[in-house]
Amino acid sequence: MLLRALSADFLKIRRRGIWFLVFLGSLGLVAMQALNFGLRYDYLVGKVYKGDEWAGLIRETFSFVPIALVLGATLIASQIANVEHLNNSWKQLLALPISRVTVFTSKYLVGVIALTAACLLLFAGTIGLGLALGFGAEHIPYLKILKLSFLPYLGALPMLALQLYLSLTFKNQALPIMIGITFAILTMFAPNYPEILPLAWPFLAYYAKPAMPVASGIILFIFIYLLGTGHFVRKDVD
Amino acid sequence: MSELVIQTRDLNKKYGDRYAVRHLNLEIARGEIYGFLGPNGAGKTTTIRMLLGLIRPTMGSIQIFGKDLRKEKMNILRKVGSLVEYPSNYGHLTAVQNLETVRRILDVPKSRIDEVLDIVSLTKDAKRPVKGYSLGMKQRLGIATALLGNPELLILDEPTNGLDPEGIHEIRELIRSMPKQHGITVLVSSHLLSEVEQMAGTVGIIRQGEMVFQDTISNLQQQASAGFRLVVSEPQEALQLVRGQGYIGQMENGGLKLGQISDPEVALLVKRLVDNNHAIYRVEENRRTLEDIFMQVIEQGGFQ
Repeated sequence: MLLRALSADFLKIRRRGIWFLVFLGSLGLVAMQALNFGLRYDYLVGKVYKGDEWAGLIRETFSFVPIALVLGATLIASQIANVEHLNNSWKQLLALPISRVTVFTSKYLVGVIALTAACLLLFAGTIGLGLALGFGAEHIPYLKILKLSFLPYLGALPMLALQLYLSLTFKNQALPIMIGITFAILTMFAPNYPEILPLAWPFLAYYAKPAMPVASGIILFIFIYLLGTGHFVRKDVD
Repeated sequence: MSELVIQTRDLNKKYGDRYAVRHLNLEIARGEIYGFLGPNGAGKTTTIRMLLGLIRPTMGSIQIFGKDLRKEKMNILRKVGSLVEYPSNYGHLTAVQNLETVRRILDVPKSRIDEVLDIVSLTKDAKRPVKGYSLGMKQRLGIATALLGNPELLILDEPTNGLDPEGIHEIRELIRSMPKQHGITVLVSSHLLSEVEQMAGTVGIIRQGEMVFQDTISNLQQQASAGFRLVVSEPQEALQLVRGQGYIGQMENGGLKLGQISDPEVALLVKRLVDNNHAIYRVEENRRTLEDIFMQVIEQGGFQ
């Protein structure tokens, strides 16, 4: 049943800009670094990161990963929910023989899959950019790039869960988007936050010891999802 | 015919202190078209949303196909098609894609999409994005969506709202064909009696959340009779004769106005008049229109 709901959801989000956001977010980060390294090639490759260009590329890219993740989660969540809000189609969807838990779970899965796709693109794009910049194919740090692409994502899962919850709950998307953008900007100052703050997790998951932020990220994601499900199952649909 | 498809018992929905629906006992028999009437804000849509499990009743029970909606919601909804108020299609998708999103959930064969498009005559426009459709076409697509899962019960909330006369006619014909051609029971709501009276066998009238009339449309029509008018050659003498038979009557515009009397009595009266050499030009029934009765029910909460 969940697979059927999921395939219906993927059909609905066609041409709603979600895949565009996935490409824009991930390849946008790569393009930014292409520009960064292209303009300052001699300085960055010749001086700052001399001898370890791949690590340099990863380091430069990482500074923008948390903000891109939270911003991406916000906009994707809003688009996923808006497909139903804008067409007043919740009532039609929920009058079908499908449980509300399934409907809600399917929406969450679309969000997770879209952001996972973005992270995969970031992984591939970063390798591609490194090669294009002539960093040498013989010692590509696959594991490091994989960590760069996915650990911050795991740390950012609570943000995705929260944005999906807000976007699916409120018909007016102004509030969820405002909250999401505020959080995205706040992730820029993550190095100054205490570990306990979820906003710091996308940053900490890659930088310090990843175990705590990654594990808490996943647990808090599940917690918010369950909370949202409980609410969604009970609520009256207008 | 007496098997009930929908039966609600003492259904209530309260928002704050206000009852949107109160003590509602809805009874809809299999194979009929039930017109659910009432002015805007009377509680029609609230009731329909409760029937579809979209909102929870504050009190009372709902049985559909003899099963409790709370316990067997999925089994019930599998056999119900619905259209709730204004259309809710995905504007950026074509009609076929819209139906496909629902088909994937219902898991019916793909061929069913062409079938329902054919039923609502949308085959020609099926490959166009729905946002370019007229309201009537959107509404027809909504009905096609409702029919997709081969439902036994169709619940249509104001399906003709906002349509032009031609659109109303099309939808009405479509609804009328449902019990005959597809064996489907239909619940159709409207705030206009004239729209429903031409297709419904039974009507329920709801006012301020409470059911004030629930009976067949012919019984409603019987309430419409408001006496007879006779136009005869010598009204004065005729009136004497009529009064002599024990009927109450008076002169009005050169004719005789009589109260409500049964068909055999009318026949007998006419015969008497003819036997007494009265020439009878006209026998007219003074009918109140159903719309008048509807207004009376709505305003006063029942018949006098």
